[in-house]
Amino acid sequence: MKLLRPLILIFVGLFMSGTVIAQDEVVTLTLWVETTDQIQLDHLQQALVQPFEAAHPNIRLEISGQEQMQDVLRTAILGGTAPDILQTFGPSWNAEYIAGGFMEPLNDYAAQYGWEDELLPWAYATGTVSGTLYSIPLTYESIIMFYNRTLFEEQGWTVPTNRAELEAVANAALEQGIHPLSYGNRDAVFANGHLISAYLNNYVPREDLRAALVGEKQWTDPVFAEAIALLTEDIAEKGWWSGGLENYYQYEGADFWTELATGEAAMIIVGTWGFDSAPLYFDETDNDWDWAPVPNMTETPQPSVFPLAIGSTLAINANSQHKDEAAMMLNFLISNPEVVLDIASGFNFSEWLVPLHFELDDFPEGVDPRVMRFHSEFAAATGQGEYGYANWTFWPGPANNHLRVEIEGVWEGLATIEDYLAAHQAVWDDVRASGNTIPVP
Amino acid sequence: MTDYTRATPMSQPVPLGQWMMLHIIRPLGRWAFVLPLLIVNAVVIIIPSVSGILYAFTDWNGIGDANWVGLANFQKLFQDPIFFQAFTNNVIYTSLFLIIPIFMGLLGAYLLAGITHGQVIFRLIYFIPYMFSSVINTQIWRYLLHPRYGIGAELAKYGITFLDFPIFGRRDTALYGIVFVDGWHWWGFLVVLYLAAMTQVDKELYEVARLDGATRFQQFRFVTLPSIRPTLIFTMLIIFIGTTLVFDHVYILTGGGPAHASEVMATYLYTQAFQNFDVGYAASIGVMLALWVSVPLSIFYILRRRGWEI
Repeated sequence: MKLLRPLILIFVGLFMSGTVIAQDEVVTLTLWVETTDQIQLDHLQQALVQPFEAAHPNIRLEISGQEQMQDVLRTAILGGTAPDILQTFGPSWNAEYIAGGFMEPLNDYAAQYGWEDELLPWAYATGTVSGTLYSIPLTYESIIMFYNRTLFEEQGWTVPTNRAELEAVANAALEQGIHPLSYGNRDAVFANGHLISAYLNNYVPREDLRAALVGEKQWTDPVFAEAIALLTEDIAEKGWWSGGLENYYQYEGADFWTELATGEAAMIIVGTWGFDSAPLYFDETDNDWDWAPVPNMTETPQPSVFPLAIGSTLAINANSQHKDEAAMMLNFLISNPEVVLDIASGFNFSEWLVPLHFELDDFPEGVDPRVMRFHSEFAAATGQGEYGYANWTFWPGPANNHLRVEIEGVWEGLATIEDYLAAHQAVWDDVRASGNTIPVP
Repeated sequence: MTDYTRATPMSQPVPLGQWMMLHIIRPLGRWAFVLPLLIVNAVVIIIPSVSGILYAFTDWNGIGDANWVGLANFQKLFQDPIFFQAFTNNVIYTSLFLIIPIFMGLLGAYLLAGITHGQVIFRLIYFIPYMFSSVINTQIWRYLLHPRYGIGAELAKYGITFLDFPIFGRRDTALYGIVFVDGWHWWGFLVVLYLAAMTQVDKELYEVARLDGATRFQQFRFVTLPSIRPTLIFTMLIIFIGTTLVFDHVYILTGGGPAHASEVMATYLYTQAFQNFDVGYAASIGVMLALWVSVPLSIFYILRRRGWEI
């Protein structure tokens, strides 16, 4: 009995001190990003980590760049060592993680913080599966055409807006020994998909493309075959790209951007991440660059289409011990447009540009007017419902892989377009049976 | 002192402690020394291997649940034209590697064996490519054979055009270009191996052969080759295994393209697992890889058991 009181006091003291310690505990959030460029990582420290931690003193945010991040992330998720916040390449990559229960549902957080009102509607929808939000878009992208403006001015060419003008420029370029277009898939076979998306979206009527994506139309429909035939003709028969299809297979980013910057090529059709690359190469030359929408490819001219794309997403690891804090970090991005623009400025607005309701006045001074023009025209067009669908966002993984890999069989004359599209339809049928499709706005 | 290593006659009962020491404790002690290695072997090799075989009978996507599908993956495999293309490419790759690098290795070693001054320098020069990682090796040759910046493009400026074509961009040359790059990386290692084996050959055998009137080629054919046969067989086995499992050179130089022209089983396995999220099917490709690799190993083992000196 003599010992009982001191023992009780000791236990109470330990409990109180533990509570005090818990209240002062600093939570550390981890986030892996795909960039390993030290300048960009330092920029993230200054533009994201520091203001976030200043606004949330009890949360530390640790960001680290990972090479081959998607492969590393997949292994870490399976091994239980994934970071609290998951950055992936987009909705088509998330389906498997969602099915495996590795991504935390975010509906409650979205309702708490009002995310649906902050994000562009089409972008919010891409993060949902069967009505449940699992990811927020981190980067919105599209496919456009970069061109050597100096070359066009010297040659007196008109920037093409339709098929006839594109053919005129291409023929004129070939006569001069200039490659009409330059691109390559040696960096990654993803490049094939960019070209397919550009042609599908600017040849096939939007409603037909959407119908195929939601299963209301077959990919074997003649309109898709015609678009693929046009691309095959341009790249394999006319040799518009990189001086020939065989060169295309060996070219990587440095090759085709150098060709464009030096005037050996006239145009590049690529994603808007090209805004980050173009200055790097053109600054080494006396030439200047500009961009235009991908020309409409139909015989009767139609307005060009900006395919919608989400380049990367952020999600919360379902096994994270700090989900609430992770949601705070997501909300910090979504609710602070000026922070997002500051972060994106370090990537020349080609990445980390969360699709919020920006106004042009929101962009900081000194932003390249060409970049501003894209965001202005993109917002105007998509706001009026004039948009398309990029393969890396709206095609599920296996379908996207088939689309971009097996097209080479068509280009090489090993497979007919009909067989290619029939096989593509079969892949879609399997994906639909497994339920791993992506919402299409 | 009692000799515990000798069996005790049946007529004499063995004390329990003595029996336990002899039949349990001492064997356990021996096993304890190899236990760490066995644990590592089990965790790193055996368990993943058995898991891989089991996953070949499932529809596992690498992330979610694995459902048993029986032989469905193997049925799909034997109807997959891309897999047969990859398998054929592996056979071509192996065949070329069993001929060209071995021939060059034997020739290089034979010529070096006759050099007394400066041999080390030549050995070092031939071995340097082997020291490069595959990433460095492929980058070197990607730009040496580049259609814009490469040797072919530069020679074409002087009217020499036979190399001015995109080797890795053509279906008929992509695989052979990769074999060339990988062979350049590998043959120096063979030179060093064969040279080491040749130096162990008894000089008296050459002396006897010369006295019998054998030419240099006959000496090489009837003295050198049989004497280094174990090394030769060893290199053939590791070449077979290495070329069947080849991945890095193909993945970096062509990615298996164009249009699967340079696809090999390892790159196709990778595509199925990490881009198609069909790990079950990829595992079935892995099983076929393992079975194919086991063919020469099994032949080697059987012949050795029958007393063949190889």
